Amino acid sequence: MIPPRYIEEDSDELLPSTPLLDDETPFSTMMSSFDEAAHRLGIEPGEYAILRKPDREISVSVPVRLDDGRLAVFDGYRIQHNAGLGPFLGPLRLQRRMKIDELRALAAWMTWKCAVLDVPFGGAAGGIRINTRRHSQGEIERAVRRYTASLLSDIGPDRDVFAPDVGAGENVMAWVMDTVSNHARVTENAAVTGKPTALGGSIGHEDAVAQGVRVILRLAVEHFKLSKGSLSVVIQGAGTVGGNLARILQADGHRVCGISDVHGAFYNPNGLDLGPILAYRNEHGSLRGFKGDFQTITNDELLAQECDVLIPCATANAIHSRNAHQINAKLIVEGAHGPISAHGNRLLEERGIPIVPDILANGGGVVLSYFEWVQNRTGYQWIAQVIEKRLRRFMSEAWNQCVEMTREHDVSLRMAASMLAVRRVSAADSLRGIYA
Amino acid sequence: MQMSNGPAVAKAASDQDEFNPFLSMAKLFDRAADILELGAGLREVLRRPDRELTVSLPIVMDDGHTKVFTGYRVQHNFLRGPCKGGIRFAPDVNLDEVRALAAWMTWKCSVVDIPFGGGKGGVICDPRELSQGELERITRRYTASIMDILGPDRDVPAPDMNTNEQTMAWIMDTYSMHVRKTTTAVVTGKPISIGGSRGRREATGRGVMLSAREAMKKLGRRPEDTRVVVQGSGNVGGIGALLLHREGYKIVSISDMYGTLLNETGLDMPQVLDHLTQNRRLEGYTEGTYMDSKEQLELDCELLVPAATENQITSANADRIKAKLIVEGANGPTTAVAQEILDDRGVTVVPDILANAGGVTVSYFEWVQDRMGYFWTEEIVNTRLEQVMVKAFADVDATADKYGVSLRTAAYILAIDRVASVHRMRGVFA
Repeated sequence: MIPPRYIEEDSDELLPSTPLLDDETPFSTMMSSFDEAAHRLGIEPGEYAILRKPDREISVSVPVRLDDGRLAVFDGYRIQHNAGLGPFLGPLRLQRRMKIDELRALAAWMTWKCAVLDVPFGGAAGGIRINTRRHSQGEIERAVRRYTASLLSDIGPDRDVFAPDVGAGENVMAWVMDTVSNHARVTENAAVTGKPTALGGSIGHEDAVAQGVRVILRLAVEHFKLSKGSLSVVIQGAGTVGGNLARILQADGHRVCGISDVHGAFYNPNGLDLGPILAYRNEHGSLRGFKGDFQTITNDELLAQECDVLIPCATANAIHSRNAHQINAKLIVEGAHGPISAHGNRLLEERGIPIVPDILANGGGVVLSYFEWVQNRTGYQWIAQVIEKRLRRFMSEAWNQCVEMTREHDVSLRMAASMLAVRRVSAADSLRGIYA
Repeated sequence: MQMSNGPAVAKAASDQDEFNPFLSMAKLFDRAADILELGAGLREVLRRPDRELTVSLPIVMDDGHTKVFTGYRVQHNFLRGPCKGGIRFAPDVNLDEVRALAAWMTWKCSVVDIPFGGGKGGVICDPRELSQGELERITRRYTASIMDILGPDRDVPAPDMNTNEQTMAWIMDTYSMHVRKTTTAVVTGKPISIGGSRGRREATGRGVMLSAREAMKKLGRRPEDTRVVVQGSGNVGGIGALLLHREGYKIVSISDMYGTLLNETGLDMPQVLDHLTQNRRLEGYTEGTYMDSKEQLELDCELLVPAATENQITSANADRIKAKLIVEGANGPTTAVAQEILDDRGVTVVPDILANAGGVTVSYFEWVQDRMGYFWTEEIVNTRLEQVMVKAFADVDATADKYGVSLRTAAYILAIDRVASVHRMRGVFA
C-alpha cells in the first residue's frame, strides 16, 4: 500500500492514456474524415496504417524541486506523428488534465494541417501534466527546462519544433529555446516558434490565425457567392483568434453582430461596438460584467443567431448533433480546432450549409510558425508587409488546392482538405520509402 | 586499386584518340594553366582529386542471394565550397571516368560562380536488370557507406545517368535517418514535396536558351532572323528548343535518337513536344519532313544546339557545319580537333561548362532553399538563374577578350583562375 502522500497531488488519474473514443471526441471526428479521405484516394490500407499511428511517442518523468524544498515528479509527453514532409512541428502545452490520446489526435492534426498548407513539417504535440495555477513561475520554469533537457535528442530545428499552446506562452518558448541552445552550445532559436521578438520571434505571430481566417473568408465568400459587400458575422470566442478576428473583420467593413467567451455572449443584429468590448476583455481577461448596447445571451443562443458567416473560434464540438439544426448561417468558417462534431457536420451538410474546415481555415498559425523558423534559420527578419503578402499566398494556395480537389472528386471542402493532406503526406512517405 | 595521376590525365595514357572527352579536358586544362602561368605545384593541386572513396555494397537480391556491388565517390576539389556532382548507375562506371567527371564539375561550378567544388559518384550496376527494391537497397547502402563524407556542407549529390528524383528521395531519407534529423540539403534534384526546387526540370534547357541569347547579342543578331537546329529533344534539347521558340527563334530542325524533324518555315515547338510526350518519338509528326539524322548538324542554319551526347562535332564533319554559332547543351559534343577547325572558320562555340550549367545552378538554388527551408516561386528561380547565366557569360566573354582566346579556353581560364586564387587565399591547411 503506497502512502497517499507519495502520490503526486496534481494527478487526477494515474492512467492518462484512457482513450475517449465516443462519436463526439475531436479524435474521432478527425479520424473519420481522414479514413474516408484515404479510402476515396484509393491509398493502400498498409500505407494508410502508417499515417494513422504516431511515428514515435516519448514519455518522460519531470522531477522538479518545489519552492518549499519538496520534490514533485510530473509526467511529460511528446508525440511525433509523421516525419515524411520534414521535421515535426507542434504545440507544447502545460495542462492539468492532459490525455495522451488528445495529444495523439493533436499531433496527427498538425501533420494534416501542415500538409494542407504546404509547409515542410510533420505533426507533433506534447506537454507536461502540471497545474500551472498551483505552481510558481520558478517551479514551472524548472519543469519546462527539465522536460526540454529530457527530450533533447529528439527535438531541435531539424527534428521537432515546439509552438505555444494552452498554458505555454512566449515566456515558456523562451525557456525552451534557452535550454536547447545551452545544451547544444549554439544559439538554436529555430527550435521553438512563438518566441518573443527579441529572441527571434516573428512579426505577426499574435494574430496569425485571425489573419489567415480573414484571407480564407474573403476567398470563401467569393466562392460561395455570398454578398460582396458588408457581411454580418457572428464569432464565438474573444481570445487570440476570435478577438483579433473581430477587430480585423470590423476594420474590413464587416458587421460583427455577436461575440462570446466562456461566460456568455453579446449580440446586436446591427453590429457591436467592438473597441470597448475588446479593451474590457484585455483588461479583465473576461467579458463578464461589461455593459453596452447589446443583448446578453448564452453561447448556444449565439450559435443559433441569423448571420451571413458563423465563425466558431472557441472550443471543440461547439456545434454538435443537438444544436446543428438551429444554425442559421449561410457559411461556417472553423476558427477553432474541431468546433463541429462528426455528427453535427453530417447534419449541416444535409442542410447544405457550406463549412470551411479547421485545417484549412485556422492554418495561419502554423504558417507563421513556419515563417519564424525560416527567419531563424537565415538569421534575417522579415518586415510586416512581407509576412502579410506571404501569408496571403500560402492561405490562398491551400484554398485553391482544396477547391480544385472538391471539383476533381465531387466532395465537400472538409473532405477535400483531408484528401489533399493525406495525398501529400502519403506521397512523401512513399517517395522516401521505409528506411532501415 | 591502381593509383591515378588525377582526373586531368585520367585515361590519357591508354586512350590517345580524338573521341576521349576527358583527354580534351586535360588538354584544355593545360592550355589554360599555361596562359595563367600556374606553377607546377598548383597545377598538381588542381589536377588531383582531394578525396576518393571506393565502397563495397553487399545487397540481398530479390531471389535471396547476396551480390556485392562497387560504388565510388570522388571529391575533386572543395576549395570553393562543398562538393557538388551527380551519382550515376551504369555497368561501365569506372574510377577514371568518375574522376574526370568530378573535375569537370569543379570547373563548371566555378564558371557560373556558385560556391561548390566538384564531385561525382557512381555504382557499377545495370539498372535495367534490377528491380525497384534492389535499386532502393543499393541506393540506401551506398548512401550509408559514404555517409562520413556526405552532407550539406561536405558533399551534395545530384541525379545523373540512370538516377532520378526517386533515387534522390531515398538518399535524403537515408541520410536524414542516420543523422537523426531532416536534412533535405544533402542532395539536390529531389521531388518538390520533400525539398526540391521549382523550375529544376527546365533549368538546363533554360540555361542553354539564355547562353544562346547572350551570344546572339554579342554577335549582333536578332532571334527572328535566326534558324536553329537542335540535336536532342529531352530535358535539354526539347525544353531548350521550346524556350528558344518562345523567344522568337525559328526552330527548323530537332531530332531524337531515332530521326530528325525538318521544317524550313519553323516548327511549332509546343505542338512538337506534345506529340513527343504522347508518342515518345518525333516520327509521325505531320507538320514537317521526317528523315534520318545523319546530316542534321550540317543543315543550313545560324544557330546549332547539340544537346544529345558527346563527340557529335568531330574532324569528320566540322568543316561542313554551316552554323556561325554553336551552343553546347550536351557535355563534350565537340572534340578538340573539331574545335580547332571551327576556330579557324570563325564559328563561335559557347562551351558546355558554361552553356549547360543551368542545371547545376538550380541545384545550387535548391540547396540554398533547403538550408533556409523557404521555397521560391518559379519566377524567382528563373529570374535568379537568368542573373547567374548572364553574369557567367559576360565573365567568360571578358576573359576571352582579355586573353584573345575562344570562349571555351576562356571558360577554363576563368574557372581555373577562380579555384587557384581561392587556393592562394586559403593556403594549405594542416
